[in-house]
Amino acid sequence: MSQEYLEVFIDESQEHLQTLNDNLMQLEKEPEDISIVGEIFRSAHTLKGMGATMGFEDLAHLTHSMENVLDLIRNEQLEVTSHVMDAVFESVDDLEEMILDISKGGDGKRDVGEAVKKLEVLQNGEEAEASSETAASVEEKPEPSASSQISESFDEYERTVLVQSVEQGYQPYIIEITLDENTMLKAARVYMVFEVLEDIGDIIKSTPSADDLEDEKFDSSFAVTVISTAEADELEQRIMKVSEITSVTIEEVNVDQASEAEKDNKKEDKKEGNESGADSSSQKKEKPAKQDNNNDKKESAGKKGSELNKTIRVNIDRLDVLMNLFEELVIDRGRLEQISNDLNNSELNETVERMSRISGDLQEIILNMRMMPVDQVFNRFPRMVRSLSKELGKQVSLDITGAETELDRTIIDEIGDPLVHLLRNSIDHGIEEPEEREAAGKPAQGTVLLRAYHSGNNVFIEIEDDGAGINKDKIIQKSLDNGVVTEEDLEKMTDQQIYGLLFASGFSTAEEITDISGRGVGLDVVRSTFESLGGTVTVDSEYGQGSLFSVQLPLTLSIIDVMLVEVGSEKYAVPLTAIVETAIVNKNEVYSAHNQKVIDFRGKVVPLVFLNDIFDVPAKNENENDFYSLVIVSKGDKIAGLVVDSLIGQHDIVLKSLGNYLSNVFAISGATILGDGQVALILDSNALIK
Amino acid sequence: MASVLIVDDASFMRMMIKDILTKNDFEIAGEASNGQEAVDMYNELKPDLVTMDITMPEKDGVVALKEIQSNYPDAKIIMCSAMGQQSMVIDAIQAGAKDFIVKPFQADRVMDAINKVLG
Amino acid sequence: MAEETADDYLKVIVFQLKEEEYAMEVDYIQSIERMQSVTRIPGVESYIIGVMNLRGIITPVIDLRKRFNIERFEYDDATRILVLNKDDNEIGFIVDGANDVMDIPVSEIEPTPEVVGGVAEEYLRGVVKLEDRLFTLLHLDKILNKSEEKKTGA
Repeated sequence: MSQEYLEVFIDESQEHLQTLNDNLMQLEKEPEDISIVGEIFRSAHTLKGMGATMGFEDLAHLTHSMENVLDLIRNEQLEVTSHVMDAVFESVDDLEEMILDISKGGDGKRDVGEAVKKLEVLQNGEEAEASSETAASVEEKPEPSASSQISESFDEYERTVLVQSVEQGYQPYIIEITLDENTMLKAARVYMVFEVLEDIGDIIKSTPSADDLEDEKFDSSFAVTVISTAEADELEQRIMKVSEITSVTIEEVNVDQASEAEKDNKKEDKKEGNESGADSSSQKKEKPAKQDNNNDKKESAGKKGSELNKTIRVNIDRLDVLMNLFEELVIDRGRLEQISNDLNNSELNETVERMSRISGDLQEIILNMRMMPVDQVFNRFPRMVRSLSKELGKQVSLDITGAETELDRTIIDEIGDPLVHLLRNSIDHGIEEPEEREAAGKPAQGTVLLRAYHSGNNVFIEIEDDGAGINKDKIIQKSLDNGVVTEEDLEKMTDQQIYGLLFASGFSTAEEITDISGRGVGLDVVRSTFESLGGTVTVDSEYGQGSLFSVQLPLTLSIIDVMLVEVGSEKYAVPLTAIVETAIVNKNEVYSAHNQKVIDFRGKVVPLVFLNDIFDVPAKNENENDFYSLVIVSKGDKIAGLVVDSLIGQHDIVLKSLGNYLSNVFAISGATILGDGQVALILDSNALIK
Repeated sequence: MASVLIVDDASFMRMMIKDILTKNDFEIAGEASNGQEAVDMYNELKPDLVTMDITMPEKDGVVALKEIQSNYPDAKIIMCSAMGQQSMVIDAIQAGAKDFIVKPFQADRVMDAINKVLG
Repeated sequence: MAEETADDYLKVIVFQLKEEEYAMEVDYIQSIERMQSVTRIPGVESYIIGVMNLRGIITPVIDLRKRFNIERFEYDDATRILVLNKDDNEIGFIVDGANDVMDIPVSEIEPTPEVVGGVAEEYLRGVVKLEDRLFTLLHLDKILNKSEEKKTGA
């Protein structure tokens, strides 16, 4: 199967999984709202179709079982209990695993036996009666294959009809029709055959009976007795026009043999009998169809609230290419602006000015195209919180606000895991057991608020719980035990800084790692993930009242704010997120301590880092002056002063990677193209702070 | 070269059918992702054939079929169904659908149905 | 190489390094650029002279003379940067000049003598003699392998 299909398959499957999750959560909240079930059913149904088409049989199998259960629910034959929800949720988990496996190149195979069994128990529990009934009735019926050799026995009445029809110039035929063995929806196929036959004749009888045919109680063959004025050939041709028919055998019925007739009223009888027969069967057929229609109407009514967006899918790589091309344009725009300034031609100036404005708008659009709502990450949290709180025997409600807040796609891709970690942490360590909460005068159910909002050039994501809060003394004790801080350090630290020790590497110890939030990874990994994205994470807490974890992220990774500095004749860019401030100090304010040049800056000893030494910058013969230009940068609570030759100014720049060949260049995190087309390197100040 | 309007809410499914059709030299008149779009596009494009999914948002395939058939009694529409939609399929056949195909689609089955309907 | 038969030709680009002619498979070559401004990168192997802006893509630039420890030469009008694409990474090679594309019969490729023009054997794939010209065919993977250089170089 081509990659292209697979990508679309995976994308759409994930969307449907999300719809399933969202709607199931909704259903659990409002179990009476059967209209939601229609939506859930539709997603499962689509997944089934797509899965089967791609040959993912386990996926198709499981969704099929889900459908059966959902069908019972929407026909109000099965009540929405938490037991039912658990089974369905578990199946969705299985589906997620399969899709994940497929997206990683796997074959999507998974043992769904258990999940299917659970669903079947639900299904059969409610249906036990019905199914035993069907089983019984199947046994009663004559084996359909018995009719494979055309021999039809007619009762008195039928014989009469046949004789009559012959008298009126009709020819009775017995037609045996065999469907392709792969035929699905056999009843619908039979229906098509009946339609064709009724077009050019009348059906007297069928074996198995019309009802059994409709219930698909036959293998692949069935026989019909038809009276028609048409030739056998024509009948055959017409029937063969229906798809999935492998063979048609037609025999003329010898009425004499069928013989013995009643002579009066047969025509009326026959007509009436036939018509009413047809009527009743088509009514039967219509009934379920109508039900389905009703359900579908409910579905579409539910859907109407959310306007269908017209969207197309674009590979992120293409957006990257677009971005690159656009950046080139920006570079040329810079040149053009320079040239038009030099030439000072008013018409040229005007045009260039307009072009600049338009390309500014364009830049905004291109950057916006890469933005996605954080909902992409948040949407899986309700499920996670649900199962986690069950697991821990806690009652937790998760309130999400600001899910529509947008972030660059690259950032979205990265923040999922660390946020999960923080949420798990809040529920595991924050929210108390129900009894404990009640004893403390809190509602048994704890609340976790997940907030995202936009502020300036940043997006904030906050996780706030009304749990036990952080025990400061415990943190202090643990930090001292694990050698994260010294008593001396602690004295100078604010409460918030002490809470921040949670994120210090080496803080977490194996002993306190639980199954839930531990996973062998400490919060320090969470911090470094956010920091690698140019973000920060802080924590505040009130003991007994709860904690607040706050994550600050840049809006986009591709364009960052930097301070351009000059060292020798080279230019470097320092991300503003790392800069505390810039300063110019007199050289005589510099001291030496342990071979390290330091300054006293606002009462703090700040080590100096001479970029020209670190980077071996070729010396530029410049008249020495008495001052150092400094960029004060921080990493956590450590700071350092980068010594540069001059500060050029603040710029928005486009972050570019140095590529694989140049990975791991010391203290350089990337590069950017300046307005004049030159490349400037971006400094990784974290590497320079010891 | 016959033109076909493909109607399915899953773009994945549309792609599958499109692929089958283009490999067999059919012209794709257009693609619609729900019943209403299908009706609108039929009016506009008057394709030789429509492949119509049954379960779709906004307006399902059977309703769309009925609307199209009432305006264009000669419209050739093949229903795309999944297992378990027997009654809808029968409803559709009653309403004038020329044939139906069942997911998962098999290319030869699809082509067989189309050729029969067009033939 | 294994599937190449005697009748096959290898399309190569011919370039110069200090009076010698070298060849590299044309398949890898994305473009040939004139010398342009390169930003130095601190703390990397000396033959990586820096990165350039190649139509918006930051491209590392390697000085092939330095890579092969051939004596330095001032860049001039003839100096070219061969831009290669290997495993989706673009890399520029500075050479003295490049102007020929040739088809070399694979059957004419001979094993390398120990040292050709000061380039260590490990970087070479073979030599080709065509009429009165001698081309040395380079081994791209080896040239791009940095650890290799650390052992043999400096």
